[in-house]
Amino acid sequence: MADLAEQSQYDSLVQKIYQDADFDFVGVAIQDRLNGGQIRWRHVIGNISQRYRRIILRTGLGIAGLVIRTGEPYFDNHLDQQPQEFMYTPITVVEKLTAAAAIPIVDPTTQLVTGVLLAGYRDNRNVTHATIAKLGYYLKHSEHHQSS
Amino acid sequence: MLEMSNWVMENFTRASDAMFIFQDDQVLLMNDLAKDLIDQSQIDLDYLKAIVLTYIKRDHSESDDCFGCAIKGQLSNITIPVTLNKDSDTPLSFSLVYQQLSETQNVYTITLKSLVAKQRVDQLAMQKSLIQYINRAHEDERKHISEDLHDSIAQGIFTAIMGIGRLVSEQATTSKAEFANQGELIQNQLREVLNEVKGMALDLRPSALDDLGLVPALKTLIQRLQENTGIKITFINRLQAITVPNDIAIVLYRIAQEAMSNAIKHADTDEITLLLLAHDKRVSLEVIDTGTGFDTQKMTQPNGRSLGLLNMNERVKALNGVFTIDSKVGEGTSVKVEFPVRSAHLEA
Repeated sequence: MADLAEQSQYDSLVQKIYQDADFDFVGVAIQDRLNGGQIRWRHVIGNISQRYRRIILRTGLGIAGLVIRTGEPYFDNHLDQQPQEFMYTPITVVEKLTAAAAIPIVDPTTQLVTGVLLAGYRDNRNVTHATIAKLGYYLKHSEHHQSS
Repeated sequence: MLEMSNWVMENFTRASDAMFIFQDDQVLLMNDLAKDLIDQSQIDLDYLKAIVLTYIKRDHSESDDCFGCAIKGQLSNITIPVTLNKDSDTPLSFSLVYQQLSETQNVYTITLKSLVAKQRVDQLAMQKSLIQYINRAHEDERKHISEDLHDSIAQGIFTAIMGIGRLVSEQATTSKAEFANQGELIQNQLREVLNEVKGMALDLRPSALDDLGLVPALKTLIQRLQENTGIKITFINRLQAITVPNDIAIVLYRIAQEAMSNAIKHADTDEITLLLLAHDKRVSLEVIDTGTGFDTQKMTQPNGRSLGLLNMNERVKALNGVFTIDSKVGEGTSVKVEFPVRSAHLEA
């Protein structure tokens, strides 16, 4: 039951961000409690392909992977200049994003990083610290909303 | 008739072999290629004549047992292998053909079959760039492994060590629940490192290839690539009971890997199909994508991508296989490789 509630929480979170702010893509990747803790993109909006469904996020690779590893927010406005990973295409490449910002999703009880919230643009608009703050606000609000 | 001789002349001028016509010591005529050869390679005509004369002299000398014999009398030309520019970086090997046109007027031709030499020079240049490419690829791979070891594995282990250190020093003051939490965190970190080590080992050389064979190795590779890229990869296996010899299996695996990696990097595709088929005494592997494709004509000029393909081609040729690439802009790409397999490998 908790899983279902969590799922609808993230679904409405990405929808709210997508509607309120004018990002081209918003997604949440979250750790699967089964399947050896795989991290997959479960809640996505503004996608241009279905490839995200098959991707298993690898920690340390791509923006989302870096956020998962470090537990710190991260943003990049020059994604097209990033060297291509060896045999790996991060979500920003699959979704042809030029700029993206991502923040960690931390389990409130264990304080472990269990996922990532990522939003970005395809048309060379820039993301900033303000984008990170905005994503943080939405995430906090949705968690607060969830617990109340 | 005049027109006819014009055509004959034209044919002479444009012939793919260098041709000289001599009377006595003087050049009467030479074609375009002969002129080019003299201009570019500083070929000494006197040297060529000297070679021919030595041969004629030798063949007609009194000591030659065959002098005047019936067969020799009917030979109108002689062929001599010569190497010009021996001392330079690019020695040119020719078959020199001497043919007499008129004995009374002492008119004769010398033809240098140059095509072979030209091909050889091209081949050498190609080999050179191929070796450079392979060396660079090796270096890149080492760099990649080194970066992976340093950035993810060393980093992960370092973090775990720090975590354990904190756990030990704070064990008296932390609560049981917090202690367990920290333990789980470290466990997760180490599990992650373990997965990365496994992934690296797989990228380098899949043990499945040696232990379980080609098909399970390809399945593992496909699953990993699907998870890494989100591209849907369909594997159609009709190998049936054929056991592919080990050296061919390795090349098939590497070609599948290289072709799929090319498709992932360049083709902008959502789907790749891999076909592994057994025919009568042959096995074939085909990697098909529905992506952007490319102009195969433009791939004759070596660049990073075509050298990768050329390298694949060389590996296939070394095992008597056939390698083909079919691609059109906007219509996707198909890379196909086929190997002969002795029926001894066919299991009943």
